[in-house]
Amino acid sequence: MRKLHVSSRINRWAYLFILPTVLILLVFRFIPMTAAGYLSLTNYDLFSRPKLIGIRNFIDLFHDASFLQAVRVSFTYVIGSVIPVWILSLLLALMTVKLRRGGGVFRTLIFIPVVLAPVVVAVLWRFLYFEYGLVNEILRFLGFSPVPWLTHPSTAILALIQIGIWRASPYFMVIFTAGLQAIPEEFYEAGRMDGTNAVTEFFYITLPILKPIFLLVIVISVITALKVFEIPQLMTDGGPAGATEVIPLHIYKTGFVYFKMGRAAAMSILLFLIMMVFSWIQVRLFSENR
Amino acid sequence: MVSKKQRVRILLFLFLFIPALWATVPILWMVLSSFKTMEDIFRVPVRLLPDPFYWKAYPEAWGQRNFGLYFLNSCIIALSITIGNLLICSLAAFSLAKYKFLGRNLLFLLILSTLMLPLEVTMVPLFLVVKTLRWQNTFLGVIAPFLADPFGVFLMRQYMLDLPNELIEAARIDGMDEIGIFFKIVLPLVQPALTALAIFIFRESWNMYIWPLIIITTENLRPVTLGIALFMSNYGTDWNQLLAIATIAMVPMVVLFLSLQRYFVQGIVLSGIKG
Repeated sequence: MRKLHVSSRINRWAYLFILPTVLILLVFRFIPMTAAGYLSLTNYDLFSRPKLIGIRNFIDLFHDASFLQAVRVSFTYVIGSVIPVWILSLLLALMTVKLRRGGGVFRTLIFIPVVLAPVVVAVLWRFLYFEYGLVNEILRFLGFSPVPWLTHPSTAILALIQIGIWRASPYFMVIFTAGLQAIPEEFYEAGRMDGTNAVTEFFYITLPILKPIFLLVIVISVITALKVFEIPQLMTDGGPAGATEVIPLHIYKTGFVYFKMGRAAAMSILLFLIMMVFSWIQVRLFSENR
Repeated sequence: MVSKKQRVRILLFLFLFIPALWATVPILWMVLSSFKTMEDIFRVPVRLLPDPFYWKAYPEAWGQRNFGLYFLNSCIIALSITIGNLLICSLAAFSLAKYKFLGRNLLFLLILSTLMLPLEVTMVPLFLVVKTLRWQNTFLGVIAPFLADPFGVFLMRQYMLDLPNELIEAARIDGMDEIGIFFKIVLPLVQPALTALAIFIFRESWNMYIWPLIIITTENLRPVTLGIALFMSNYGTDWNQLLAIATIAMVPMVVLFLSLQRYFVQGIVLSGIKG
C-alpha cells in the first residue's frame, strides 16, 4: 500500500473529523455502560442518593420469582421463534433464488413486514387476533371455536412468537439471498458433472459455502429475539400474569415503573452477559465443526 | 407436455404463494378494514370488502388527538437523526479510511464495539445520563444519543476504502483543503452508500418507540409512534380509527421501500454482515 499522509498539519483534520463520533459514543454509550456497572452495585431509586450495596442486587435476582419468570419467558420466546426463522428464511431464499425470474417479486412482497414500525405491527396483529379478528374468523370457518389469543397465558406467548417469525424471517431471507447469489454458477456445474441431484447439491455445495452466513444469522437472530421489547409491551404489556414479560420489558418496568434503577441496571448487565455467552457458544460450536 | 424445468417453476410458484400471502394479507386486511364501519368489522361471517365503503374513520381518528403535530414531530426527529448521521458518520469514516494517525485502529475498534450495546441493555443508564444533562422532554434528548450510529461509520468506511488515494492527493496538490476534499471529492463518490445509510437510519428513527417512550412525557414533543400507542391503549378506541391512523403511519415507509428497494435491502444486508 502507498504511504498515506504523515504531515501533522493534515492529521489534525483526521482527529477533528472523528471527534463528533467519538464524543457522542463516549457520552451516550460508554458512560452509560460504565454507569450501569456502578449502578448495579447500588440501591438507586431515582429520588435518594445511590448507596453501595455490593453484589446484593445480583444475589437477589436469583431469588426473584418475577425475574426468573422473565428469563423463562425470554428463553421460550427465543427457542420458539429462532428455529422456525432459520428454516423458513433459508427455504424462502433458496426458492426465490431458484425461481430467478419472478423470485424478486416474491422477495419484495415477503419483505414488506420488515419495514413496518413495531407500533403498526402491534395494531395490525391485535386486530387480527381479537375475538372477531381474521384469525378467529378463519378458525370459525374451519369449524373450530375462537381462541382468546392475547388474554390466555399459553396462547399469548404463541401469538407473540408467530409475530416474531413473521417479522424476522424476511429479514434473514434477504441475508441468505445475498449469500446464495454470491455462489458462482461454476460450483454447481462442476457438481452436476459429478452427478449431484437437488438434495446432494444442497448438502454438499450450498450448505458448506453458506456456513459463515448461517453462523451470522444464528447469532443475530438469537440476539434480536433476546432483546424483543416493543411488540410484547404494546400487545400484552407482559400479561396475562407475566406470561409474555420478556427480560427487556421486565428491565423497563423495574426501572421506569418501580424506579428500582440499581436492580434494573443489574438485570441489564445480566442480559448483556447472556447475549455475549450465546454468541460465544455459537461461534465456538461452528468453528469446531469445521 | 410440460418440461421438468417448467414443472419445477410451477411448484416453486405454488410454494412461494403461501408465505407471500402470509406476509401481505394481514397488511391488506388492516387497510381494507380501516374503510369499514364498526358494524361491518364485527359482522359474522366476515366479508372481504368494506360494505358500505366508509372513509370517515380517517378524519375522525385524525381529530381525536394531535396527530398532525405528532407527524411533524416524527419528521423533525427522523430527519435530524438521518442528516446528522450522514454527516457525522461520513466524517468519521473519512478519517478512518483515508488518514493515518496514532490510535486509528484502536478508535475504530472502540466504535465497532458499541454495536454490541443495544438500547434494550443501556436504556436505564442512558436515561440517567440524559436526565443529568436536563434533556428530558427536549428534541435534543431524543435526537442526540442517536446521531452517530456505529454501523453508519462501518458502512461508510467500507466504501471509502475503495476510493483511490491518488484522487485525494491530486486535489491536495491543487490546493484544495481537507474540508473541500471531503465535500467536493469524497461525498459525491460515495453517494450510493449515503443513500443506503440514509434509508436505513430514517427507517429506524421514524419507527423509533422505546427511547421516546422513556424520554418524552409531554404532548407537544410526541412522535407518531407514541401517539398511536396512546391511542391504542385508550379503552374504547374504535378499531376502524386505530387502523386508519396505523395505515397513515405505514404508508410513507412502504412507499419508500417499494421505490428505493435496492438501497433498502443493501442497508439491511450490510447491517447483518457488520457483526
